[in-house]
Amino acid sequence: MSTIHKGLTVTVTLDEEKISYVNGLLMEYRKDLKIYQEKFSTSLRGTFFLSWLTLPAQVYAEKEKLPARILLMSSYVGSQSSHLRELASFLGPQLKQVFGQSREYPEKELDESGLVDFLKAKSIPNTFYSGFKFISTEDVNREKSLKAEVWQYGQGLDGAGKRTSPREIKEKIETFVRNQPQLAWAAKKIPYGLSNKIQMLWPLALFGLIMLASLISLILCLFLDLLILKILAFIFPIFILVMGFLFLLLRLNENIPHSPSPELSDEKVREIVALETNPVINEMTVIAPLKKGWIRRIFLAITLKLVGLVAYFAYIPTVHTARWLQMDRGKRLVFIANFDNLSEAYAHDFVDSERRAMNMAVIFSHAFGFPATRWLIHKQYNHRSNYMKGVRAHQKVTQFWYAFQHELSVENLKRNRTFREGLNKKMNDAEIREWLLTL
Amino acid sequence: MVANPIDMTVLEKDDIQGLLLRGHGQLSSASYLLYAFTNPAKARHFLQVLVPKVTTAAEKPEDTAIQIALTYDGMAYLNLPDPVMQSFCREFKEGMTAAHRQFILGDTGENAPKNWNWGEKSPHFMLMVFGKSPEALQLALAEVNALTSSHGITALHVLPTGMLHNRKEHFGFRDDISRPVIRELLKNPENAQEETFPAGEFIMGYKNLYEEYASCPTVPAAMDKKGDLPPHPDDSNLKDLGKNGTYLVFRQMEQKVHAFWQYMKAQSKDNQSAIALASKMVGRWPDGSPLTLCPARPTPSLSEANDFGFWQDDKAGLKCPIGSHIRRTNPRDHLVTETSQKDSTEMAAKHRMIRKGRPYGPPFVPDLNPEKMITRKEDNQERGLHFICMVTDIRRQFEFVQNNWVNFHKFGGLEHDADPIIGNHYHNESRKTDEFSLPQYPVRRKLDQLPNFTLIKGGAYFFFPGIKALQYMADHD
Ligand code: HEM
Repeated sequence: MSTIHKGLTVTVTLDEEKISYVNGLLMEYRKDLKIYQEKFSTSLRGTFFLSWLTLPAQVYAEKEKLPARILLMSSYVGSQSSHLRELASFLGPQLKQVFGQSREYPEKELDESGLVDFLKAKSIPNTFYSGFKFISTEDVNREKSLKAEVWQYGQGLDGAGKRTSPREIKEKIETFVRNQPQLAWAAKKIPYGLSNKIQMLWPLALFGLIMLASLISLILCLFLDLLILKILAFIFPIFILVMGFLFLLLRLNENIPHSPSPELSDEKVREIVALETNPVINEMTVIAPLKKGWIRRIFLAITLKLVGLVAYFAYIPTVHTARWLQMDRGKRLVFIANFDNLSEAYAHDFVDSERRAMNMAVIFSHAFGFPATRWLIHKQYNHRSNYMKGVRAHQKVTQFWYAFQHELSVENLKRNRTFREGLNKKMNDAEIREWLLTL
Repeated sequence: MVANPIDMTVLEKDDIQGLLLRGHGQLSSASYLLYAFTNPAKARHFLQVLVPKVTTAAEKPEDTAIQIALTYDGMAYLNLPDPVMQSFCREFKEGMTAAHRQFILGDTGENAPKNWNWGEKSPHFMLMVFGKSPEALQLALAEVNALTSSHGITALHVLPTGMLHNRKEHFGFRDDISRPVIRELLKNPENAQEETFPAGEFIMGYKNLYEEYASCPTVPAAMDKKGDLPPHPDDSNLKDLGKNGTYLVFRQMEQKVHAFWQYMKAQSKDNQSAIALASKMVGRWPDGSPLTLCPARPTPSLSEANDFGFWQDDKAGLKCPIGSHIRRTNPRDHLVTETSQKDSTEMAAKHRMIRKGRPYGPPFVPDLNPEKMITRKEDNQERGLHFICMVTDIRRQFEFVQNNWVNFHKFGGLEHDADPIIGNHYHNESRKTDEFSLPQYPVRRKLDQLPNFTLIKGGAYFFFPGIKALQYMADHD
């Protein structure tokens, strides 16, 4: 068991003439959401976000047509199987109606477990990021009310508060929490703390260990003649050589003259931003064919794997969850993000600092229309304007978008968690003062 | 050492309208006049007559000055060719009152354009007339009047302005202290004490912070028959209509001065704490001294201080609250969502603006002393700020600040707070924006149910062209 956040991506191809029908269905469900938000959040207990959209056909490398598709992308907490069951049981009829439009959907009627199997079979891997790691849907509301109740209690401490030591203030707060039956849960340790970390970090640890073992073996080979050492010793140099070789090939590919994306019409931009009117969190889906050349597909695939390895340490400001993945044999890049405020503001986060622009280039420079780079991360001319144009040119309308909650920003969620973590934790006075600021 | 090419760029001051580089501070009287054309040919003739009268940045006017800015509708009325009109940025084309722009700017409820005095229907252009005295201004206005009426131009609104005591705004706070410095205007930019900005952030036709030419309106080369315009720096098929011009954002903001001080008084035990609370909302004391440098009391010697940051000295906002007006409109070196001072500084720099606003209406008390304002009765006079800012990218600079920093109630990890001074404060089923949160020990203080201390009364996006661009508009047929 864990409270790690994960992403599920299910996709099937769709005949182009069915796109508008499916869009109509999804838009209808979107309307239902307004009325049944509460029913959704009580029935989809482990689901934070759901993006469901159709993707029109796109052209790869100026000649190859990539098929139209239906994409269902969710961000959830807990195990994949219970998430699939949750989807199939609550959204069964809608899932069947929409996916039923695809030739990939089975002829025969599916029962709930058949639908689960179908969703599983059509799901593809993604590199996933969460900005509020390990917080479950249940925690979201509980931690919010915990903080509100303690803040209210804190108002009573205010008068004499300036003279009361941080330690005493903390004790008073802890006693208050312990004495409230409805807050009993907060006095306990946060579950799965260690196992969450281990589960997220073991692939990275394994990778690091193999590389380290290889390096050590390389040295030991000078002194010992063991077959196992010789095999191990190869791994690190081969990894470096392959990466170096791929880099060289990429550099050659970067010399292909840059073709900018055609700018999206004002009308189309208006259509997209008209859906971005949620008060706190909004969603953005960007799907672009890759730049031509097989090296782009390979390079991006390796990059996404490596990014996945370090996801625990990644930080993208204002983003609740995000994912990157490749589709159609690596020829399409999909990026979705659920973020605070509007895409006009959010897209700036990518290019407004040098470091961020470099990080983004690692993935987006492979997509068609995005800025040309040198050695993957170095900017070429008009980096920022091409980047912004690229994002808009490939942004898709997400016909159906569900969010578990519409009220708390990612910073709010993190602060609420920090406050809870601080309860019953030993701290010195300076740390307590800092902790109190999260209230 | 090879000099940085940006630093070597020389600004074409004789093609730049004066207000972009100067505040015309010595011309203390000014009026902003909003007009509609009634005949395209007469309108073009009007521009031909006006062009030589427009004050450029090469002059230092001692008596009067005149500037012109046009809206999208105004330029469309001049029948500028379609490719030219299309080349303006989307937000300018849509205008400040388009439904989505209202949403972005937070112009809803009390602040919705339907409640404005002007701007719901866009004017065509604005003349900004300055005089060293009320008399000089009157003379200049008479000349302008004669010129406009002889060209069948309808005067829509006259917006008088009046400088206040000690360069204060109506709530009684010293204004116009923090201004971005344009690098190309300095003799030795490398010795600059303050952070400097490339001209392209505020003037089109020069490179901006991304080392790109700011996006600008263009004219297909073949359509510039008289060769009025310079070539476009990135595309030889185009002429640069934007060069030496910029976008001008105008918002008429009424200030509820009596309500402002009454609110402070109601939340405080005495006048001094009421003033301290208002200062927490602004981020500076009434005399201008920044809370970050002198949190306990105003320090007159720091009243123009602008060399400070928040990262080192006040990350948590215990001195200057994170939600205060100056910290929202320019977070300087500390964005709560960033993990380093360097990133914060780089990000915040991308959203600066040159402010040129002037107050209007009579002061609540002549010397704008807050203590007197707290005790004075409501006089029901309208007063406020004609907020003006100049930017080359409306969306990245003005709208970003207004939307993401001023009105977004989650700014900096806050929960229900819009800018206390200029935010739109309300509470409905989807949003609550009327709190102000003051970090303090042991538990933060939250003020609730802030009324709107400012109200939008009018506004529009204008293009503030260079002289050659103006000439092109006058000449084209
Ligand atoms: C009636 C309306 C307003 C009032 C009373 C007001 C008042 C003030 C005051 C007293 C200052 C401090 C002086 C200074 O640093 O120069 C200031 C700074 C500033 N204001 Fe406003 N303001 C108003 C509207 C706006 C608007 C609409 C914006 C833009 C969205 C804005 C942006 C700024 C900026 C960028 C600064 C400089 C912050 C810094 O660099 O530290 N203001 N304002």
